[in-house]
Amino acid sequence: MRTSGIDIGSRTVKLAVLEDGEIVLTRKAHSSHSPLETAAALMQDIDPGRLVATGYGRHLIKTRFDCPVISEIKAFALGARRLSADCRAILDIGGQDTKAIALHETGDMSKFEMNDKCAAGTGRFLEIMAHALGYALGEFAESALSTEKAEKINSTCTVFAESEVISLTNQGSRREEVALGIHKAIVSRSVSILNRVAPTGEVFFAGGVALNACVRTLLARETGREIFVPQDPQIVGALGAALYGASRPDERASGGNT
Amino acid sequence: MNETPAPLIQDEFTGEPPTKRVLAHLQAKREEGKKIAGIYCGYAPTELIRAMGIVPASLCAFSNATIEAAEAVLPVNLCPLIKSSFGFVITDTCPFYGISDAVIGETTCDGKKKMFELIGERKPTHIMDLPQLPDEEEALNNWTIMIRKLQKFLERTFNAYATDDEIEAAIKDTNHKNAMMRTVIDYAALNPPVVGWRDLYDLCFLSHGVTGKEMEPVLIEAKRKLEERKAAGYTYGPSGAPRILVTGCPVGGDAQKVFNIIEEGGGTIVALDSCSGFKPFATDIEEKTGDPMRAIAARSLKIPCSCMTPNMRRLTEITRIIERFKPDAVVDVVLQACHSYNIESYKVGEHVQKNHGLPFLKIVTDFSQSDVGQIRTRVEALLESC
Amino acid sequence: MSDYTQMWSSLGLDLKAHDALLSVLGSAYQDVFLSQKKRPEGMKYFDFVMSEVHGLRIKELLDAKAQGRKIIGSYCVFVPEEFILAVDGVSVGLCAGAEFNFEGAENVLPRNICSLIKSAFGFKLGKVCPYVEACDVVVGENTCDGKKKAYEVLGPLVSDLYIIDLPQMKSEAGKALLKEEYRKFAQKLEAASGKKITVESLKKGIEITNAKRKAVKRLAEIRKADPAPISGLDALLINQIFFYDDPVRFTESVNKLCDELEERVQNGIGVADTGTPRVIISGCPMAVPNWKVPMLVETGGAVIVGEESCVGERGSRWLTEDRGSTVEELLENVVDRYFNIDCAVFTPNPSRVEYVKEMTGRLNAQGVIHYSLQFCHPYIVESMPAEAELEKAGVPTLRLETDYSQEDVGQLKTRIEAFVERINE
Repeated sequence: MRTSGIDIGSRTVKLAVLEDGEIVLTRKAHSSHSPLETAAALMQDIDPGRLVATGYGRHLIKTRFDCPVISEIKAFALGARRLSADCRAILDIGGQDTKAIALHETGDMSKFEMNDKCAAGTGRFLEIMAHALGYALGEFAESALSTEKAEKINSTCTVFAESEVISLTNQGSRREEVALGIHKAIVSRSVSILNRVAPTGEVFFAGGVALNACVRTLLARETGREIFVPQDPQIVGALGAALYGASRPDERASGGNT
Repeated sequence: MNETPAPLIQDEFTGEPPTKRVLAHLQAKREEGKKIAGIYCGYAPTELIRAMGIVPASLCAFSNATIEAAEAVLPVNLCPLIKSSFGFVITDTCPFYGISDAVIGETTCDGKKKMFELIGERKPTHIMDLPQLPDEEEALNNWTIMIRKLQKFLERTFNAYATDDEIEAAIKDTNHKNAMMRTVIDYAALNPPVVGWRDLYDLCFLSHGVTGKEMEPVLIEAKRKLEERKAAGYTYGPSGAPRILVTGCPVGGDAQKVFNIIEEGGGTIVALDSCSGFKPFATDIEEKTGDPMRAIAARSLKIPCSCMTPNMRRLTEITRIIERFKPDAVVDVVLQACHSYNIESYKVGEHVQKNHGLPFLKIVTDFSQSDVGQIRTRVEALLESC
Repeated sequence: MSDYTQMWSSLGLDLKAHDALLSVLGSAYQDVFLSQKKRPEGMKYFDFVMSEVHGLRIKELLDAKAQGRKIIGSYCVFVPEEFILAVDGVSVGLCAGAEFNFEGAENVLPRNICSLIKSAFGFKLGKVCPYVEACDVVVGENTCDGKKKAYEVLGPLVSDLYIIDLPQMKSEAGKALLKEEYRKFAQKLEAASGKKITVESLKKGIEITNAKRKAVKRLAEIRKADPAPISGLDALLINQIFFYDDPVRFTESVNKLCDELEERVQNGIGVADTGTPRVIISGCPMAVPNWKVPMLVETGGAVIVGEESCVGERGSRWLTEDRGSTVEELLENVVDRYFNIDCAVFTPNPSRVEYVKEMTGRLNAQGVIHYSLQFCHPYIVESMPAEAELEKAGVPTLRLETDYSQEDVGQLKTRIEAFVERINE
């Protein structure tokens, strides 16, 4: 049986296709100004089978593709468990939101908390800061890791942090130290959410920001916990949606009880 | 003389945060075998506490460092003073809380009130139900009842007792301390100013933690130094600096960034109208009434805290301070999420501007460094308008 | 609805702004309520009340005024309705639930305070609330910091503001204070109305108020059935109308609805399928027309089967003892009744979580949504230990903090859907 999960994020759209429970295809694309079109394009030359949608744009796509939807919390819970059989603590830092999810031993969702009102502490924050410091995203993490000393960033808001970063470099602060300060800021915010939700045990770290080596290192250091990053940390939500589809073959597109 | 004069309190703690001085004092008391009661507020009846041989210790914290720990349990959107104090408690890093044998709280604001519920299990804790309409007869009756209940709690917890005479003596001591403090504080009214906020703040802070008798030598010395400065024609701060009255929420520790910004912008602070400043010393307790607890209660209810309504006394006090200290502008410091001072600020601003013709600036802030730039911009604009 | 322009003009309303408000209200009502399926017939009465909320009901108030009866407005369930009725007055709730004229409110109040307070001010300053304009006395109370200080600003804006002081702890001294405050309030009502409170008039007041409470308690009890015979939205609406409809007529209509609902239960008819996840909402009150969260919950796959809020069981679950032969004895009964209310402004407040647990069991709910308005310190600080205790007791809990804006609908939806998924597991 073929099932697919599509995760419509605000920055990227991710697709995962499963054949009899095994991943056969994954794809990603920038959401652009029309996530719906991007999603359609991702699936145009393949047979998605039974499709389930998740992510912030899930209700949008539900109308076009007439598919069931699940929240990205549930999708991450399912996807994470598939990739790490007994994980209990999930941290996802995405393009524009951050979430922490605690799972029971059974894999059922226990607690969750999201930061989706503020860009600070998300991938967007890192992008803007990298740009302000004149780095490509790839070298940003590397540069931050090259120094021990961090320049403290006081602003909590992305927009003001950007100004702060620019004035720091103008005053002669070393770029690497400012870069490290930025990474520390984002880790600190994430750890705060993580500690409220799932304070102990190995952390399943997903989302685009999990690709950042400096964030991974700092996260491990600040929590003192094992950090597990799957091979493709961005696909976890889409995978979870596809798994959901496989487990509920007869469920139709839902819309509450009205 | 216009080189920097000696600070008003000269001891081994000079130059350090004033908390160290008071902590050393408490530790010394501890060693003498005294019991310590932690308090959070100017409403705590320290005269009763002292008359019972117990030493009051202020637990209000002004450090940004413990706020992160607090935010794991308390909402982020809450007064930084509450978060900081709570953060110290739950991380077991507060020497004042650590040294306290009991904790006394009051139902002043919602935030503190609900926070006390979360720490109540750690040490013997007694919460007093503070009235909110201070001008009503019932308020005085009820607060007196609450003070008597506190007495019972302290008797039970510490096996300590106080006679009415002992309480009366403590009242007299407080009044004496207040009178001495007022004399010293009055020097801040001089033009040009001879004393800066740091000296004043340190004196106020120490005064909270000790008795009038203990404060006497310090204040005599302080007065002597101030007279010297006056006689030598010393001016604190730049000549012609705009004189600033700072009112509002208690300000200490990391919140002193506001004071620094005002001075860096060229202003001189001449009056600290808050519980961390001059407020506690403004009013005396009636002596020899035959009912000292009631007298203490009556005086408490005169404190113009914004948790009281309608708190007209805040305006009359500001008028008195303006008339005495002659500021050129007023800054109202409101801690983030403090609804009472925040809502009251509108009334204060109208009063200051319309009835006194003075420029007014409200600053809403916390203990972090993240808004220093914004505060500076506003303060500089205010000073420019003087 | 008839043409009430003359009436609204006479109350000093800003007609243009008022029309705008009514049309927004009208279309919201359509989207939220009238689009629901399988609504009980008995809801037609409440639809009618809502359609005439600024019309016929106001006319009734003005007619009452013409007969010498006083209109007494309030913002809190601690204000004893029994006394208002005992002086033949009309009690109206003034809490507002829409983001209207916040700019006006923010001229006199800080931005960072609870939406309920800003809304009340927005309505008053924007001159779009006929209820507050029709009041002879506006009663405030010293509950939370926000309201307490906001009344200082409201005072000059209304003709007669009266503040009831409340204790903040449930002690003997606290109860004594409440009694004195109620006594003074009774005297105020007598002075304002020119009528004396007698044993008969107070007993009558108690009777009417108790009957109203019994009716909504009956409704609350029926909702334990599965499938849910009535939606949470409709039940909330009834609990909201509780505060400003004619009490006797309201009671009758609720009882009639309950008869219909009991029949539904017998025949297994509901508004949602059997097995739809059932939740309780607990926390801050929701004033008309604040329907945002219940709507998201009930279009998000769950049904709300109870409310632990002032606009809900916390406001109505206790009755006033009516036995007594003097006004003093009856006053004592009224105090006893109101002193139970476990609002978060009291410290400590352990009975609230206990009651939520009890409700969850009684109403066969599978989860609790703790609802607080942004900036509401008492409920928000209480929400953390409440959540911890409920989870410990095996009750899945979701904490939501929101305001009146539409800005966070997407985020709320995500959380609510995830919570429903969790309950379904």
